[in-house]
Amino acid sequence: MGLDFGLRADQSEGNFVTTTIDKVVNWGRKNSLWPMPFGTACCAIEMMATLASKFDLSRFGSEAIRFSPRQSDLLIVSGRISIKMMPVLKRIYDQMPDPKWIISMGACASCGGVFDTYTLIQGVDQFLPVDVYIPGCPPRPEDLIDAVMQVQRQIHKGELPKGAEVA
Amino acid sequence: MSEEEKKITEETIPRVLEQLKEKFGDALLEDAESENGVVVVVNKEKSYPLLEYLKTELAYSFLVDVTAVDNSNLESELMKFDYARFMVVYHLYTYQGETPRLRVKVPVNEKDLKIQSVTDLWKGANWLERETYDMFGIDFEGHPDLRRILMPDDFEGHPLQKDYPLRGRGERESFNFEKQNV
Repeated sequence: MGLDFGLRADQSEGNFVTTTIDKVVNWGRKNSLWPMPFGTACCAIEMMATLASKFDLSRFGSEAIRFSPRQSDLLIVSGRISIKMMPVLKRIYDQMPDPKWIISMGACASCGGVFDTYTLIQGVDQFLPVDVYIPGCPPRPEDLIDAVMQVQRQIHKGELPKGAEVA
Repeated sequence: MSEEEKKITEETIPRVLEQLKEKFGDALLEDAESENGVVVVVNKEKSYPLLEYLKTELAYSFLVDVTAVDNSNLESELMKFDYARFMVVYHLYTYQGETPRLRVKVPVNEKDLKIQSVTDLWKGANWLERETYDMFGIDFEGHPDLRRILMPDDFEGHPLQKDYPLRGRGERESFNFEKQNV
């Protein structure tokens, strides 16, 4: 086999691979995203459907919903965010440990949707670094799964999240 | 059901409108009866006594909602009640009798945006009146804690007034985190 790490050839065959630490860590990260749900409207219902048995987000390693931001690394903003709610959302985001990703789910979170009114934030990306946007009102569970997979692809490629502070 | 409650049900509730007319004749500006219950418009001075009477004598024990209407774009409504811009609306419900639903409307003039609070009659009026204050700017006198309930504390203006612009007066744009205490 041309490899000689003191292992017998028949033991080593197919049993180890060479890689870098980063790749192993990212591989682990992308397959165990722990979402922090921030559901304020009907998008949250679709998010619940995504987590439940029919669509089953656990197939992608993301079923461990944490209602504590300190234990999660994927913020799913699903629903309308008002100017009174925005500081709460910001505070939750700030409490999440790095690295952390944000999915802006649905029209309201992404751009205010139909609610072009005095009280509604016209897109959370004015205040938070959003990685993946999902269009739709509300988006179907497949769309959310697609967005999670998009985040996984970004992690797999070794890209930093938008919110990463580059020192 | 106690004897007293039974008496209320059988004798007074079916004739609630007559009862009100008899007791508050001049103060009633308008009344109507429909499948959805009874509607009365009462002037501001008599609104509290009327509501008190409805609760204590006619067993309207449940205050469903307190809200208001800004009629400033509705000339026909304005003309009817001496150009009072706002109409405060109380939705009441009783578990006894044939007219369970009753609405009491009170015209409130813009120059004197005050009306007596009913929090001492129904405890549930507390948050409902706070919401009405927040959205329409109506001052409920005697309310124990009249402050905003939906909008941020430092918000200026009352957004459900008709002259408030839909997209706001720049609150969305001038919004910043430092000013907010979470």
